Amino acid sequence: MTTYAQPPVTQIKRAPLPPTSKGRLFVKWITSTDHKTIGYLYLITTFVWFLIGGLLALLLRSELARPGLQFLSNEQYNQIFTMHGTIMLLMFATPLFVGFANVIMPLQIGAADVAFPRLNMFSFWLFLFGGIMATAGFLSPGGAASFGWTAYAPLANSEYSPGIGGDLWIVGLALGGLGTILGGVNFITTIFTMRAPGMTMFRMSIFSWNVLLTSILVLLAFPPLAAALLALESDRLFGTHIFDPANGGAMLWQHLFWFFGHPEVYILALPFFGIVTEILPVFSRKPVFGYKGLIAATIAIAALSVSVWAHHLFATGQVLLPFFSFMTFLIGVPTGVKFFNWIGTMWRGSVSLDTPMLWVIGFLLTFLFGGLTGIILASPPLDFAVSASYFVVAHFHYVIFGTVVFAMFGGFYFWWPKMTGKMLNERLGKIHFWTLFFGFHITFLVQHWLGIKGMSRRYADYLPTDGFTTLNMISTVGSFLLALSMIPWFVNIWITRKTEPVGVNDPWGYGQSLEWATTCPPPRHNFFSMPRIRSERPAWDVNHPEAPIEGLH
Amino acid sequence: MHFRSRKASLVARLALGSLLLTGCKNGSVYGYESDLSSVNEVSWHLWRGAWLAAAVVGIFTAALILWPVLRHRRKEGDPQYPKQTQYNIPVEVAYTIIPFIIVAVLFYFTARDEAKIIAKEPSKVMHTIDVTGIQWSWQFGYQDGGPNAVVTGTPAQPPTLVLPQGERVAFKIHSNDVVHGFWIPAFMIQIQNLPGVTNHIEFTANKIGEYPGRCNILCGRNHSQMVFKVKVVTPEEYKTYVETLKAGA
Repeated sequence: MTTYAQPPVTQIKRAPLPPTSKGRLFVKWITSTDHKTIGYLYLITTFVWFLIGGLLALLLRSELARPGLQFLSNEQYNQIFTMHGTIMLLMFATPLFVGFANVIMPLQIGAADVAFPRLNMFSFWLFLFGGIMATAGFLSPGGAASFGWTAYAPLANSEYSPGIGGDLWIVGLALGGLGTILGGVNFITTIFTMRAPGMTMFRMSIFSWNVLLTSILVLLAFPPLAAALLALESDRLFGTHIFDPANGGAMLWQHLFWFFGHPEVYILALPFFGIVTEILPVFSRKPVFGYKGLIAATIAIAALSVSVWAHHLFATGQVLLPFFSFMTFLIGVPTGVKFFNWIGTMWRGSVSLDTPMLWVIGFLLTFLFGGLTGIILASPPLDFAVSASYFVVAHFHYVIFGTVVFAMFGGFYFWWPKMTGKMLNERLGKIHFWTLFFGFHITFLVQHWLGIKGMSRRYADYLPTDGFTTLNMISTVGSFLLALSMIPWFVNIWITRKTEPVGVNDPWGYGQSLEWATTCPPPRHNFFSMPRIRSERPAWDVNHPEAPIEGLH
Repeated sequence: MHFRSRKASLVARLALGSLLLTGCKNGSVYGYESDLSSVNEVSWHLWRGAWLAAAVVGIFTAALILWPVLRHRRKEGDPQYPKQTQYNIPVEVAYTIIPFIIVAVLFYFTARDEAKIIAKEPSKVMHTIDVTGIQWSWQFGYQDGGPNAVVTGTPAQPPTLVLPQGERVAFKIHSNDVVHGFWIPAFMIQIQNLPGVTNHIEFTANKIGEYPGRCNILCGRNHSQMVFKVKVVTPEEYKTYVETLKAGA
């Protein structure tokens, strides 16, 4: 066994900050080029969008609790689910990835900042104002966009959906999408050019790997969306006929949209798989199981994800079913590999169920079920039975909520001390988890049966004779329980805001990747001193040099 | 005594379970009936098979997730950290190959059954019906009855699609305006009404009765009112119905 030099001093006491005021802090934040500050801006803003999208969802669930229109008109209902989907996918989940990537990835690769700090802030403003623009339709006379977040042609053209709300939606998303594209460019450049000495690609943490692959997917998927949106706006504004049904426009839109839309699912999923993969080894006190195989699986998922878009088009009768079905099934293989990597990481580990780990277990079980219903939907004959029904609504909430929201809270609890220097309260964290877990499953499990019983998605209303009433009521009750889970979360943030700082680099004790080798929170340029990077867990090597990965030494 | 009552309850539960699995009419415990239409005859078996496979995989994987959570939990007196294992090539190869075999099998049945469902069999088709989606209702044109045999619904008065029992019908699917979705949940079939495109499906309705049909692609304000009723009648009644339409219109 190799002997180790004493680790360099990593505990440097921070100098007291100069006196500041709220106004100074505000100006400092909005003029910052620090990747961490910009990351916090992203995280805070996306969380506000999450709450807005959640309130819209509560309106939808309240309306559907009983048959008959309760308090919304059909048109209002359509606007609300359109904006719920748009906000949750493009103003919450996608930029949430940018937020986590901004805060964590440069720390994990040992960089002082991202490659283009000012472009980074510019991306944030594009995202913020793009989102506000798309949502501002609610203030316009005709209301917000109401053609669904998928904006199928020709419903989304000016003939069937007149009104400025639709235009604001299209241009707002194109603007926000540009922000995402620039973010992707920034992350790819940072990872390729700014890794610390010793940080080879195959010593990089899984989260940073997933940020890289996600950013590549962003560059593949968002430009077609931007093109499609601008073409749609051109149809609406200048009277072009790009999506005119007479020249195949209805199918052209579906192809272009889902050529963005399916990789988008993986843009949402991969970073959060990454967060999960960071948490599991720390609370199992083991290295990530099958590290290289896991990277290979992620590359395979990213590659396959651009070849399966037409499984959203099975019911159009216009696509080659077996090809897209097979490619979709194939995604199940690397996804299965990931599951076994995660299980293998815990296997014979020393597992402790701190709050971050609890969120990961919640994610694993929820995403497992969402993945299995995904395999069902990948089969065209079964897709013909349940596509575009509540079964699909249930499926994608299991996949996307199960991944993004569970892993987001896992990531918040895990990195909270790194970001703020304060630990969150464990007991409130557990109450938060269990309320959300049961709220989520009560809301969405029953929706599978609603779909099988024949409830279409995007229906503002149903009949008492349809037999949907009980299940809808259960789902609505669940959604309010889900909403209540935000209370312990905010209480937690509030009561821990002035607690004793953690004072160490790695408050969890078994941190592995590089962010645990700097202070909590890190200094402006992230590291006072850089530890030696000789494996994919440099922070562990500093604290536990006597326990390297088996078989490597 | 105690033992006996537990045994009795076990027997009762097993009996109940087998009743659930076998006793329900036409397999509707799986959410769909196995014989309502020629589509169900194919898809229902795939649906059941896929769910059984999913249940096996799901329970196995969930057990594997929960096992270390419950059994490899950190306990008082454990060493500071476990063995730092990272790779186990045979296990990694196994968990790559086994999922591949599972999806390959699933794909075989999918491809086989999907071909049956979208097959065009002109020799067996006995009637052709035009199904047109219009914001926000349906128009059914019975080609047997000529240009007059057309029924158009409204959101307030949804139309009825009358089908002959046991006779294969070809549907020509059109849209007058935006994309709609022609969906008969009980028959496990749907297809989009695309403007500018004529879609085609064929199937046979097997059992007399009434079944709801719905539009499932968002088509504007009154999307949720765009419903219809499927009424399966005897071939004679169907003939009479089409004749009435032809004469009455």
